[in-house]
Amino acid sequence: MSTVEAATAAVKRRHVDGRGLIGLLLVAAPVTLIGALILWPVSVSVFDTLTVRGPDGRHFSLESYRFFFSDGFSLRNLWLTIQVAAICTVLLLVISLPIALYLRFSETRLAGYIQALALFPLFVPSILLAYALIRTLGPNGTVDILLTAVGLPKIPSPYLTPWGPIIGLVWDNLPLTLLIILAGLSNVSRASIDAARDVGAGSFAVLWYIVLPRIRGTLLVAASFIILGLFSAFTLPYLLGPAVPEMMGPFMRRTIIEVDDPLQARTQAVVTFMICALFAMFYVRSVARTRREQSS
Amino acid sequence: MTRVMRLDWKGWLIAALLTVAILLPLVNVAVWSFTEVWRYPAVIPQKFGFRFWGDVLGRRDVRDAVMTSLSLAAIVTALSALICLPASYAFARMNFPGRNLFFMSFLTVYAFPKFGLYITIATIFIGLGLIGNFWGVVLIQLVSTLMFMVWIPVSAFQNVDRRQEEAARDVGASPLRVFWSITMPQVLPAITAAVLLTFVNTFYETEVAWLIGAPEVRTVPLLMIRFINSELIVQYGAILSLIMWVPSFLLLIVARRFLGAQALGRAFA
Repeated sequence: MSTVEAATAAVKRRHVDGRGLIGLLLVAAPVTLIGALILWPVSVSVFDTLTVRGPDGRHFSLESYRFFFSDGFSLRNLWLTIQVAAICTVLLLVISLPIALYLRFSETRLAGYIQALALFPLFVPSILLAYALIRTLGPNGTVDILLTAVGLPKIPSPYLTPWGPIIGLVWDNLPLTLLIILAGLSNVSRASIDAARDVGAGSFAVLWYIVLPRIRGTLLVAASFIILGLFSAFTLPYLLGPAVPEMMGPFMRRTIIEVDDPLQARTQAVVTFMICALFAMFYVRSVARTRREQSS
Repeated sequence: MTRVMRLDWKGWLIAALLTVAILLPLVNVAVWSFTEVWRYPAVIPQKFGFRFWGDVLGRRDVRDAVMTSLSLAAIVTALSALICLPASYAFARMNFPGRNLFFMSFLTVYAFPKFGLYITIATIFIGLGLIGNFWGVVLIQLVSTLMFMVWIPVSAFQNVDRRQEEAARDVGASPLRVFWSITMPQVLPAITAAVLLTFVNTFYETEVAWLIGAPEVRTVPLLMIRFINSELIVQYGAILSLIMWVPSFLLLIVARRFLGAQALGRAFA
């Protein structure tokens, strides 16, 4: 009897081991891709930018970073990117929050229309958006036509100024920011707001003391998501933004393709990684947490 | 009811502002694409018509770009499904060493600003001669699809009712039969969603194509960049925009029918 049990246990174990091996084989391809096309290039870039090749092999050096942080041109591009990222984050939060609050606490048909409109940019590729914005806000675009028709002066066109990418990126990122904030607002109950209203709190007090404290984490995740997106933005800054100074996306591409300086391009990339590291951590942690909640 | 009506000025304000901000640029493109003559500063085009549609559809570069984009998206999606779906089954159902670590490793896709990541890959691809190479583009685009193709189906595989599978086994169904008749129907919606999202996202992918593929690989978004930078006839860009929008439009219809807003958010974010 005990031999039979031992035998079944052995068979079972072998079975589990076999499945373990099969499992590893099944996940091998995508995991290898992650390793080869994310971890490896990033590690190589960090290593190569932190070392120089001497006569006796590679040794540690901060030379490429010293160049980046003493080069006025690079610094101006970095500064522009930081400014645009900050402005976009503030604008997106300020625009999304009222819309999200409205959607969370009203059940009118109008709310359905607003939600559909606000989520619509999910279905507009950014390259199409770039074209549409140029035709609308560019010189002699639709906005100019409409203003002239009612006898007002033309707008100073945001096209090819930093405001071009800002408008485009806000437009593009509105739906996901809104969805993140909506998810956070589901933790704020209508009862708590009604209670505050009953004791005489105004709209602003409700927002400041009841709503904001409960969605602080959500706002941080939303901001992290936006900032990560902004530092990797390429299409909209490239097509709508100024040539000098330019945002990090177009700048990195020009450095590697036109200036043909892979080392500086890598340095620029690692600098963006560093600046985004903290935000990336917040964002990744929240994605991992959502995932755990879903599967449990 | 009247109370709600009276209080809803906020709703109308939001709706009005959004209508202008979201729809004006898009309607503008649609109008341009059916315009033959529109001289500034007329509010309404002087002449509507389809004349430029024939021109655009007859252009060789347009047809080639559409073919390139479709085949690129199809190849990337097929490869991604081929390597990711078995992996997501393994992550959901099997126990193997390093399972959690490997599963979480897909999060590294989100941990770096994408374009910086592409730059670091490009510096390696330059050395390998993969710049301007169709398969180089396929390889990198494949990486950005892993997240959809692994994570979305994993939840579905985990949510399959195990008791149904065991019941089927008990009445004598073979494992393959169980997989085909019990498991598959329950995970099919999630897999369809992952495949669709992957296809559409790859179709519009501009940055990898522009950084790694140009000038040899010419996709629709890259043709659009060229139109924006150097095409004098406004209608060409407008018409290409409309043609280019078709996959997104199909996704929109599917999403409206099968997904709620929440699921949509999860799928994209």
